[in-house]
Amino acid sequence: MFTGKKGMAVLGLLVIASMVLTACGPAPTPEVVEKVVKETVVVKEEVQVEVTKVVEKEVVVTATPPPPAPVAKELTVYHWWTAGGEKQAMDVIFKHFSAANPDIKIVDNPVAGGGGITLKTVMQGMLAAKMPPDTFQSLSGSELKMYVDGAYLEPVDDVWKANNLDTNYPAVINKMVTFNGKKYGIPMNAHRANWLFYNVPLFEELGLEPPTNVDELITVAKTIKAQKPDVSPIALGSRDKWTAIFLFDVVLLSEGGPDVYEKFYTGQLDVATDPTIKAAFEKYKALIPYLYPYHGAKIWSDIPPLLGEGKVGMMVIGDFAAAQLVQAGYVEGKDWEAVGFPQEPEEVFLMIVDTFTRPVGIKHPEANTAWLSNLADPDTQAEFNIIKGSIAIHKDVPDTNYPDDLHQRASAAFKGKRIVPASAHGALAPQNFLSDWQDILTRFLYTGDVDAALDQTSLVMTSYDVAGQSEWYWAK
Amino acid sequence: MIKESLSDMRYNWVHIVLFLAPILIIVLVLIGMIVWTGAVSMDKWVGMAPVWQFNGLQNYATLFRMERFWGALQNNLIWMVAFIIPSAMLGLLLAYGLTLSGRAESLFRPLFLYPLALSFVVTGTLWAWLYDPEAGVINNILKSVGLGGLGQPWIADPRQATFCLIGAAIWQYTGFAMTLYLAAIRDIPGEIFEAAKVDGASDIQIFRHVVVPNVTQATLVTTAMLTIFSLKVFDLVWVITFGGPGTSTEVLGFFMFVATYRQAFVGLGAAISVIILILAIAVVVPYAWWSMKRLQT
Repeated sequence: MFTGKKGMAVLGLLVIASMVLTACGPAPTPEVVEKVVKETVVVKEEVQVEVTKVVEKEVVVTATPPPPAPVAKELTVYHWWTAGGEKQAMDVIFKHFSAANPDIKIVDNPVAGGGGITLKTVMQGMLAAKMPPDTFQSLSGSELKMYVDGAYLEPVDDVWKANNLDTNYPAVINKMVTFNGKKYGIPMNAHRANWLFYNVPLFEELGLEPPTNVDELITVAKTIKAQKPDVSPIALGSRDKWTAIFLFDVVLLSEGGPDVYEKFYTGQLDVATDPTIKAAFEKYKALIPYLYPYHGAKIWSDIPPLLGEGKVGMMVIGDFAAAQLVQAGYVEGKDWEAVGFPQEPEEVFLMIVDTFTRPVGIKHPEANTAWLSNLADPDTQAEFNIIKGSIAIHKDVPDTNYPDDLHQRASAAFKGKRIVPASAHGALAPQNFLSDWQDILTRFLYTGDVDAALDQTSLVMTSYDVAGQSEWYWAK
Repeated sequence: MIKESLSDMRYNWVHIVLFLAPILIIVLVLIGMIVWTGAVSMDKWVGMAPVWQFNGLQNYATLFRMERFWGALQNNLIWMVAFIIPSAMLGLLLAYGLTLSGRAESLFRPLFLYPLALSFVVTGTLWAWLYDPEAGVINNILKSVGLGGLGQPWIADPRQATFCLIGAAIWQYTGFAMTLYLAAIRDIPGEIFEAAKVDGASDIQIFRHVVVPNVTQATLVTTAMLTIFSLKVFDLVWVITFGGPGTSTEVLGFFMFVATYRQAFVGLGAAISVIILILAIAVVVPYAWWSMKRLQT
């Protein structure tokens, strides 16, 4: 058929045409929505003609399942809890739900991708196509607001009131699901983002105390570097980028306290001239010489084992790192320890909250109500959060619910300290700002150019109208 | 006989429609998507739901003012130069090597083709691990042969990271170039080789004076296809560096995804897609024109 140079040209044209066409569809959705399966079939040697033909096919497989048939008793759930412990934790919720609603069949649709990055992409497509699942996971705060702004969500005030969540949940959580005076999600767990993990044998050997503010952090780092040149004093995995925000957040909290923190992330400060933000960047810069040098090649979960081993002294990360350390066989209190950081000027609970929603136009509204009510139940939260490695937000769940010291202290801090929504993952700051913000910070870790970072931050803050986007946070 | 039945078929519209329908549907859907993307690129769409408010070329103007856009474009251009030339050259050398190796060819050819069968995510994960400055394979091999001093931070260094990504892509795509060249070399009439050998030409001389001048067609196909790949590269960047450190390895495809799905600047994201399309067309149209002309002669 295709022989010789002409054949080659025709084949080439066909393949190129197909590649160009596939290149220019709407933005690709690479992780779960679509899979591009490339298949190269080499057809070799026909009888007399010595030609090798290459046929390249692009097969697009759509992984989004078809809309479920309208069965009377069914609940379609989309969430991103797919990792080891997370899946088991989700099973606890399913168990409680099925016990209370034996006639409703759960159709589980986990979408892998930490922090719900991929799920958000999937949801964007499903909601725009008017094929909403009966409920899906989101983070409270600015991420939830994106769905509300798209008019994709129904209020859940009925569930909120029935479970008396105004009293049973902290006021700040109330604020993080309230938009235009209505509640749009039911949260059920909180992660604390501001833990400082450290290696206990190292601290004991050098006679160090865990730092309480960023100046002490620098002093401790200096001591470690001087006495143990092989150990990196502070580690982060900035290939994930958002870890750079975690580190900056504690620096900002230490320099300015929670009020400045909230104002900064909601666009209330003039970043270009504000002295506290500049001071925070200066301190952040002072940390650079003490960072693990190859942080750009690591993701967050690469770091806990290094800390357990004693190759790094400290890391600032959420409580989810504890599970990594325990799984790797390192014992809390003996090999590693974690303290809330900073403790000066004020120790806060920097919070990330998971939430489930009620989309517009769902097929099984009763099942959705039953699902959300189950999440608000303190018994479900108590059992779920032990496995998830977070803490319950219902005030009836006691601190003693958790088997480990870290989560008992987290629960106590949640009840006793001021709760501040964490910026990372879109609880407080708007998503579009955060995406640029993590780029600015990771770039800064290589350049240390304070003025450039302030300029870039200020530009992004004003051009994205962070203040306007964050009005919900200051609404009465 | 055959001629007659062929002419019968020419008038059988049912058959024509039946056989062309699948490709027509595919092409129409794709063209529809392109038109839709073009429309969105001129829309004020920010946020999750469509806005449908005409915005003229404002998204493009915004884009051209963004340092980030030029950085991504620059990285795409680096990709074109540093990825295409080595891939094509290595592919040609391997193809000739295989031709010379005689029977061993059937053993080696699949070996060089295997990387192409891997998904980019697998390649990316694999190479991220190879490039790890401490636990990675490359630096540890260097160390074990006493060349630890040559070890690099690789993807942890913003200046090296793009080239690290390109290295992974070359590894994956050389086999592809090789296959095209292998076909082209097979296409060269055996008499030319024999004549050259009779004249006492060495393998290297044959490569220079017989092989290279006779595979220009394959070079064009290879270059055009590798160019398109380098324009739409996304997966490797996403998996290995996530555009970082900072934004040092961002390419247009990555920027488009982030703008559209992370930041919900959908109009802006569509504008980036259109620019990628224009760049791809700029490469392909001259090639297509040239091949059509060649086909006619």
